[in-house]
Amino acid sequence: MKKCTERPRILCSLNGAVDTIGNIYKGIPILHAGPGCSMQAAVGTNLYYLGGYHGMPSSNTYEKEVVFGGTDRLRETIRGSLEVMDGEIYAVLTGCSMGINGDDVEAVVREFENNPYPIVSVDVAGFRGDTYFGYQATLLAIVRKLAEKTETDPYMVNLYGQVPSMDMTLRGDLEELDRIFAELGLKLNTFFIKRDGVAQLKHSGNAALNINISPWMCRNLDSYYEQAFGIPTMHYPGMPIGPGAVADFIRQIAARLSLQRDYEKVITREQQYVYEYFDSLMGNFERHRFLLVGESNFALGIARFLVNDHGHIPLAVIVTDSVPEKQQADIEAQIKNLECDRKADVYFENDAYLIEQIALRYAGRATLLLGSTYEKNIARKLDAFFVTATAPCLDKEILNKSHIGTRGCISLVEDMYNHY
Amino acid sequence: MERAIKDKIRDTRAGFTDAQAGSAAALRDKVKKNCLKNAHRTFEQGIQCVQVNSMNALVSIQDSVMIIHAPYGCSACASLGAIERLNIYKHHRGEEESGESRIISTALGEKEIILGGEKRLEETVRAAIDRHHPKIVFILASCSSAIIGDDIDAAAERMREEYPDTIFAPIHCEGFKSRNHATGYDLALGALQNYVIRDAAPPKEKGLINLFATHSLSYADQLEMKRMLRAIGLEANIMPYHATYEDIMRIPAAEYNISVCQIFGDEYMAFLHEKYGTPYTVTCMPIGSDSTDRWLRSIAKLCGREEEAETFIARERAEVTAEIEEIRKKTEGLRVCITAGTGRGLAAATLMGEYGMQLLCIHTPYYERAYAEDFERLEQYHGDEFLINVADMQPYEQINLVRKYKPDLFIGMANWVSRLGIPTVHILDAKRPTFGYHGVLYLGRKIEDVLDNNNFNKKLSRFTDPPFRESWYREDAFKYIEFPEDIVS
Repeated sequence: MKKCTERPRILCSLNGAVDTIGNIYKGIPILHAGPGCSMQAAVGTNLYYLGGYHGMPSSNTYEKEVVFGGTDRLRETIRGSLEVMDGEIYAVLTGCSMGINGDDVEAVVREFENNPYPIVSVDVAGFRGDTYFGYQATLLAIVRKLAEKTETDPYMVNLYGQVPSMDMTLRGDLEELDRIFAELGLKLNTFFIKRDGVAQLKHSGNAALNINISPWMCRNLDSYYEQAFGIPTMHYPGMPIGPGAVADFIRQIAARLSLQRDYEKVITREQQYVYEYFDSLMGNFERHRFLLVGESNFALGIARFLVNDHGHIPLAVIVTDSVPEKQQADIEAQIKNLECDRKADVYFENDAYLIEQIALRYAGRATLLLGSTYEKNIARKLDAFFVTATAPCLDKEILNKSHIGTRGCISLVEDMYNHY
Repeated sequence: MERAIKDKIRDTRAGFTDAQAGSAAALRDKVKKNCLKNAHRTFEQGIQCVQVNSMNALVSIQDSVMIIHAPYGCSACASLGAIERLNIYKHHRGEEESGESRIISTALGEKEIILGGEKRLEETVRAAIDRHHPKIVFILASCSSAIIGDDIDAAAERMREEYPDTIFAPIHCEGFKSRNHATGYDLALGALQNYVIRDAAPPKEKGLINLFATHSLSYADQLEMKRMLRAIGLEANIMPYHATYEDIMRIPAAEYNISVCQIFGDEYMAFLHEKYGTPYTVTCMPIGSDSTDRWLRSIAKLCGREEEAETFIARERAEVTAEIEEIRKKTEGLRVCITAGTGRGLAAATLMGEYGMQLLCIHTPYYERAYAEDFERLEQYHGDEFLINVADMQPYEQINLVRKYKPDLFIGMANWVSRLGIPTVHILDAKRPTFGYHGVLYLGRKIEDVLDNNNFNKKLSRFTDPPFRESWYREDAFKYIEFPEDIVS
């Protein structure tokens, strides 16, 4: 990490790993880490199957393990986890203290290779990287462990590139993606939440196409699928939000899969659905000058929808995820390419204080701020409307609401109007 | 800088255990004979650490910046947890415009772990001061900064020279320091004394009492405690949550000290007694009429206000007796299991006794000599056969036992038990008071409500299962506890 960060919105690589395994139904993270890591690394993640962080096995390493090594402790922890916890995939995740003291975690995990359940280990000691690093390393590790190929299913697609907990409307978004793919006669593997998540991972080697929705993440997974199973990857940076993006998304997929089905009919139907609602809202339509704060997947997706479809003026987009410099220019170019004469300023920042300083430059001009709960106070200072649209969302409980696709963009519009 | 309070961990206190199990009678006898030893859990689930509690205690201090000297992850409970909780608290107080809590992570990466992170720490301190000009800068250690040997004391010393007007308070709260995470509160209170109050000795303020409390004490309960203390002529300085620099400096000015429960602040109150001669009492949490009586009487005794206390107790008790009797008709004879923090759990168990319920099992994070009398007191309601499972959560043991006991009611965090269809009630509440005599009613009504309508849990249980293997429920709940007498060494 290059510099200190005020009120970071992402956490360490252990968090990315816990988030990945914890969102797989019957995925059991086994922490080889200090007490407290289970709690801290799980904040904001969805450990619904485990019932929360207290449900997650952990070696809870104290001074003894820090000084003398923790492999014995790890061995008994893995043994107990396999006996007690009802899982279909187990992942030993290393925390800082055990990462520094040099425990040979892989060797211990190898001792359990003959148990009936798949088990992997991932070195995600907190200092190795951030949430994004942990997500990418862990997803690759379990795909390597589980994915197999029998024969290619021309109608099966894998989709990845979104850290689960960094999508505040995750469940609803996955449901919306499933719905759109089903309309096209396609089976979509998104791995997370679904009861058949482990089966999806196993069958993912049969997919005809990967869709990577991150402008910069999971290049390691793209190449693994390509090399191991010959699956090509389509890059679609940013969430598809709104009638324009959904149409574009469907056309790109159809082209890559040479779909025979009449997908233009599907597109028309989806667009018509949105415009029925927009039509009824016409009298209330208010054009905003907006600021948008969030990670690149949602910054791109929401900006495209608000500008290209819904007709607002983009003032500034502050991208908060750890985009490498090389890809920053691409993201900036995409935001500058939106269909509007006025071009947004683009920033890359994850420090809550500096984000506020940037946002306050637009005082008097901005009328709408879309961001995470962290930005709620900034909106008050700007006297702008506020919409919680990006993670972390701490001020409301979200269950099946979606902000993406066709139906999700309607919810997003609802959120823009229902406040005072 | 010389520290008046040296770091001390709670693991070394007489009879300390965080892994034990046995009947109330068995544990009581052993701990009284000084032969209760800690057991070892060969399989554990997630617990919390010292650093989280140091953070929780200090994050709300106004006009301060908290620097978390660690990789990103260690700021989670502050960044994504405590600050938002504080925002809710401010909302309840109607203080939404008051200053925000400031935390900065030094964001240690591989490079700093290898080459040392003190330079990054100093850069962070400079950023904190340039941005916010705080009165106090807290510097919190972490597992990784401690293992690599970053000297946060020396760094604080250097910063003191650079910024002589700022108070720097380094806190050695690395996660692996203690098995008892309440140690984290001790370290935080110690830091306030060592670096903020230091040798200040303001004149005593008549009627002022410090009430040391955890961050989990809701605003409603704070108001209720203040009201009760006012009834015996005391003005409470509730510390350290949301305290200002001035509030902290007022700590030695108090005439008396108390804390919210047995496990909080006792070490610090002993120090204040020694240094400033401030009398204090370690008492229970005022949940339930009997516990509230005990709580109020022990404070009244401290300050010679017994008469006022008895008048208050008689009046308040009279206001709630009729409804308690009414609720008791429904609760009499029901069998109950409790999982809660030590202080809250003990108080909840007396409340269950008042409502005529029978305690089968209590899960408590810690058990030690100092709590023996409190657990013994439960025997007058529940006999001495109930099980004490000393466990910081460990839902796998909890669920195994609850499935076997099939209680009529479960008190505590419901995440796992609710999936079994058993009625569950939590005794924490952010909005309404759970303390004092009116709290008895509020909690009683919650119990009454779940007994009359448990449809949520009942129907949920048909569609969901806890994450444990079916075979686990047939095993001994303490299969993974190696008791000291079993260990041949």
